[in-house]
Amino acid sequence: MTIRWPLVIRRFHKWLALLVGVQVLLWTLTGFYMVVVHIDTIHGDHLVRSPVVKPFDLAGLASPSQIVAAVPGASEIRLQRHFDTPVWRAETPDGPRLFDAASGRLLADPTEAQIRALAQRIYTGDGKIVSVQLLTTAPQEMQSRKPPFWQVEFEGWNRPTLYLSPKTGELISRRHALWRVFDIAWMLHIMDYEERTDVNNPLLRIATWSAFAMAISGAWLLVWSFKRRKKKKA
Amino acid sequence: MKKIRLTPLFFRRIHKWVGLILGLQFVLWTLSGSVMALLDKDEVAAHDHSMGHAHPLPEGAYFDVAALSKGEPVQGVVLRDLGTRPVYEVRTEKGVRLVDATDGAAISVDEGLAREVASMMNEAPIRQVSLLPKSTLETRDHEGRMWRVDFSDAENSSAYVAADTARFIVMRGDTWRTWDFFWMLHNMDYLERKSFNHPLIIFVAFGTLWLSGTGFYLLFKSFSRADFRWLRRRKKPVVRTLTN
Repeated sequence: MTIRWPLVIRRFHKWLALLVGVQVLLWTLTGFYMVVVHIDTIHGDHLVRSPVVKPFDLAGLASPSQIVAAVPGASEIRLQRHFDTPVWRAETPDGPRLFDAASGRLLADPTEAQIRALAQRIYTGDGKIVSVQLLTTAPQEMQSRKPPFWQVEFEGWNRPTLYLSPKTGELISRRHALWRVFDIAWMLHIMDYEERTDVNNPLLRIATWSAFAMAISGAWLLVWSFKRRKKKKA
Repeated sequence: MKKIRLTPLFFRRIHKWVGLILGLQFVLWTLSGSVMALLDKDEVAAHDHSMGHAHPLPEGAYFDVAALSKGEPVQGVVLRDLGTRPVYEVRTEKGVRLVDATDGAAISVDEGLAREVASMMNEAPIRQVSLLPKSTLETRDHEGRMWRVDFSDAENSSAYVAADTARFIVMRGDTWRTWDFFWMLHNMDYLERKSFNHPLIIFVAFGTLWLSGTGFYLLFKSFSRADFRWLRRRKKPVVRTLTN
């Protein structure tokens, strides 16, 4: 008996499609979303102002020696601005701390009112602040960051949300509706439904190779069907 | 003109023709996706700058900050430790100057310093060191002059060190290089390998929606009850009992 390859391959294609059809549909849909909405928009670059670059007056600043003595183990000390005053920002084993750059004194943690003011400065939109909360557990959308942080939500259809550091008031992250949809799209795309980060999970590996086999068998059928048509015509 | 009738045959034709035009990319997407899922993500993203060593700053007297400006407006000052000595990074309009934080002497990031920084990230012997005038495909997310330090290890690792700040930028190995080739096939940005939001990929992705959409629809038309007979045959006869 001769093997009727077209029939065998067609069955193979069909059954594989039954196995991974839903996932392939999801891949193309989520992939389409991810290529259509620009990644800079997803990252929310348009939501925040970049810090102004202007020269510092270096005369009369407290010496970094004083800061290093105050927070032993600090790995980096950086001159920056908090509102408009220069501060030394120390990266310590317990996280960042701010020191008044003139006096060298440790700054108190920003108050809620200051967080509101900082968020308004950073945010590019016109919307008002809807809610301000100090979170001690990370919501799903901040899973990769270590709490605590301030969550400042602005009004708007896309619910723009800024996350600020409770110690320095610096922007940690920004989220909005398109990011949240992207995150779900990414989860469906890589099939890691819990952490949404593992691109090596066994389910994904099986599904991707099955899809590859389905695609290759489809390609074979395609070539075969166009060849057959030519033969018929001749 | 023939009226279009939404028959399975019509969808089968769409499936076939879209397959003919965009099928190759669809095959490449499944292939590159499969390979990327297979390559260990920890080896791919083994070492980026966030994994660079942070050395605690030693206590003691540091060079006077006010003397760092040298008449130029200074936009930023960072004090950090290279692992062997503390340094200031002084940012001006012209770029970043590196200054010894104990005596104020200018530091140039020479080959020796680049080797030193790179060796903190990899213990393998160094094969070769070269100075690059600008970033390459392997360091496309970074800017400026940089040192490339090649190690002789199994991964053929290369460490990149910024030529202005002496900061460790990134480590690339063969697993990453393989991954990056397939990532290029996946994102279809064949020159820069960076963007996945360009017109070509949007066009092909849109077309592929038709391939998968019609394919999914055809699933319902291609299977008949007969295809599932083998499932039913194995089932034991069900004994029904009436409760109530």
